[in-house]
Amino acid sequence: MFEPATEAKLADHCTLCVHRRGILTGQAGQYNHYVWDKSIPNVELSPLCSPNFRPGPPGEQAQVLSQNMDDLLKTSGCINFEDLCICPGKLSWVLHISLVCLDYDGNIMDACVLALVAALKNTCLPAVTVDEETGDIKTDPTTHTPLSVACCPVSTSFIVFDNNILLVDPTNEEEKLATGAVTVVAEGSNLVSIYKPGGTPLRDDQIEDCIDRALERSLEAARLIDDTLCSIDR
Amino acid sequence: MPLDTRRLTGPESSQSPYNFAPVNKLDLTQLDKRPDGRSIKKLRPLFLRTNVVSQARGSSYIEMNETKVICAVYGPREVLRREDFSLKGQLTCDFKFTTFSCRQRRQYQQDSQEKDLSVLVLEALEPAVCLHKYPKSQINIFITVLQHDGSALSAAITCASVALASAGIEMYDLVVASSAAICGSVTLIDPTAQEEDALLKATVKPDNNAGSVTVAFLPSLSQVSAISSDGELSFEILNKSMQECVANCQKLYPVLEHTLVKHQQELEAGRS
Amino acid sequence: MASFTVVKQEEFEAQQEKGSAHVLRCLTSGLSCLTRQDGSVSLSQGDTTSIAVVYGPAEVRINKEQIDKATVEVIFRPKVGLSRPEHRKQERIMRNTLEPAIEAHLHPRSSISIIIQETEDLGSNLACCINSACLALLDAAINMNYMVAAVSVAVKENEDMVLDPSKQVEKEAKSIITYVFDSVNYQIVTIASTGSFSRVQHMEALKLAREASKSVFQFYRESVAKKLLMSE
Repeated sequence: MFEPATEAKLADHCTLCVHRRGILTGQAGQYNHYVWDKSIPNVELSPLCSPNFRPGPPGEQAQVLSQNMDDLLKTSGCINFEDLCICPGKLSWVLHISLVCLDYDGNIMDACVLALVAALKNTCLPAVTVDEETGDIKTDPTTHTPLSVACCPVSTSFIVFDNNILLVDPTNEEEKLATGAVTVVAEGSNLVSIYKPGGTPLRDDQIEDCIDRALERSLEAARLIDDTLCSIDR
Repeated sequence: MPLDTRRLTGPESSQSPYNFAPVNKLDLTQLDKRPDGRSIKKLRPLFLRTNVVSQARGSSYIEMNETKVICAVYGPREVLRREDFSLKGQLTCDFKFTTFSCRQRRQYQQDSQEKDLSVLVLEALEPAVCLHKYPKSQINIFITVLQHDGSALSAAITCASVALASAGIEMYDLVVASSAAICGSVTLIDPTAQEEDALLKATVKPDNNAGSVTVAFLPSLSQVSAISSDGELSFEILNKSMQECVANCQKLYPVLEHTLVKHQQELEAGRS
Repeated sequence: MASFTVVKQEEFEAQQEKGSAHVLRCLTSGLSCLTRQDGSVSLSQGDTTSIAVVYGPAEVRINKEQIDKATVEVIFRPKVGLSRPEHRKQERIMRNTLEPAIEAHLHPRSSISIIIQETEDLGSNLACCINSACLALLDAAINMNYMVAAVSVAVKENEDMVLDPSKQVEKEAKSIITYVFDSVNYQIVTIASTGSFSRVQHMEALKLAREASKSVFQFYRESVAKKLLMSE
């Protein structure tokens, strides 16, 4: 309708990501120090998507995912937060990012990153004018400027099965049997993050293998996102 | 408001850019053509799909132009609290608007409107489900509105009944719902969010009619399972618009049937 | 590779300024610093300190009982306020790191709880917390498959590597990577990173951290030996 939205689908797994834009008004200079708070990602794992989740406040998994998305946005440099500034020290855009899982079949991290990046690339900001004398704000929803997204990080997850078998893109069932997990977020030839939260100790060459595959896949996935966005006419 | 420590929270003073956009008013009483080009008696096209949530027992997705609702059904499953056991099965319903579904950003927590809608959906569906066949168990319905452009309640009821049927829950009949908005002498079938908003803001004289009606109907039994109406409506107008809604439900019924037949065919194709 | 010496805070900061700080900050520990717990330790890596305590093996709540192994619980408490998503993420990393290290099958139907309290974060907080938890497990004499040692590496804007970064270095760094190694084969248990880096930098940082982890294990040995000497 009026928000940029994308749906990422990995086989049975499906995540919807929508950005809701907000205008932040504040006293002069107040928000210059809080650049990070201009994007607020939240992942919702509702009881709709899997019988494992209960209604109520987000569980640990959802919180960790939200934090991962936040870290990714802040450190990958895919959005220049200064672009979100409308009137220095007074007005700024805030991106409320909601990631809603519709169908949970494992590997939620990859789906979330894919949906997040695609939705960012699809974000348009309406034109804003500020009356200098009265300070009145006017928005014109008919003219849009697209948000510039500098890069396209792609996440690739692996699980460790039976202490030495590595499986890429695990399903829900495989995740339950796993003894460890590795997630590599790559962007071009750079690594945005390697996340191996404990589990079975791995050899260096196993980690190397994960990085190799992630770098390879990141190019493929970035191309897919671009192709998809080109096919939408706005 | 207490700080939510389980979510990332942004600055509280942020506002929607639409608050600053010029508003174009819609006068419902002087309407020769609806903003989306429909005539006032015309329903929006309906798109219905089953089996959208792989982890659920049954699920469905409904799209009426810009209104998009997804529903998943889990169960029959065990009742966790022993004191809740009963010989009749329990039906629960959880209705949620996503934060981005409406023009104004919604909160993550379920608000009172969502709680009301949960109860309304539940009341519309309960008469259609053979709950006595599911002793000591519960059936959970989860409804999420992905995008709200009017008539979310009727879309949710229709969607949930298809999801229940696709989950193989025994039912007397499907439940089809349809809604209408009445402003003065005009009855708008299947109103959009813009029209619903205009109705709330419309200034009408006290003896005039302004309100909306949603009817849930069991088509093959020809029975009405729930009516929800708000606003001030005279008996004749209410009666007339209800009949129109019922007629519309009859029109939608074949779409539901067709979707379920297709669902069954897919299941059988998958088995063989 | 140069041998790792554990140095004083002032020396360390001077070295980090120069950008050639391939040393760890001064590690000090106080084992059994609390008396009512089965194991407790306060560990400081330079000015970064944390306290970890272990209860167990103890009785387990019925709904958490596992018939074939002990239920391991890891709780991370931030310095101020309630746990926020960032703390949950750290807590999860700690739990997943420590859980497989514990020989839980030796204590079926019981619970082992580890509580880690952050007391002062002046750089490499995650590493300090994991190290203190491992020491607390040793102090509580819980059987373990392997010990774990965590080391942080910061990659500066000028591509220099800094081991065990202080808060100041962390703020200026391009990326920070925390590695955790096991004590048997020095394999990788955990990697957690913020900020982007290249593949070559990862390999270089890994090599540095692995060497440094050996001095952390050596420190564990010395700490426990000292405690045993004192109790004799």
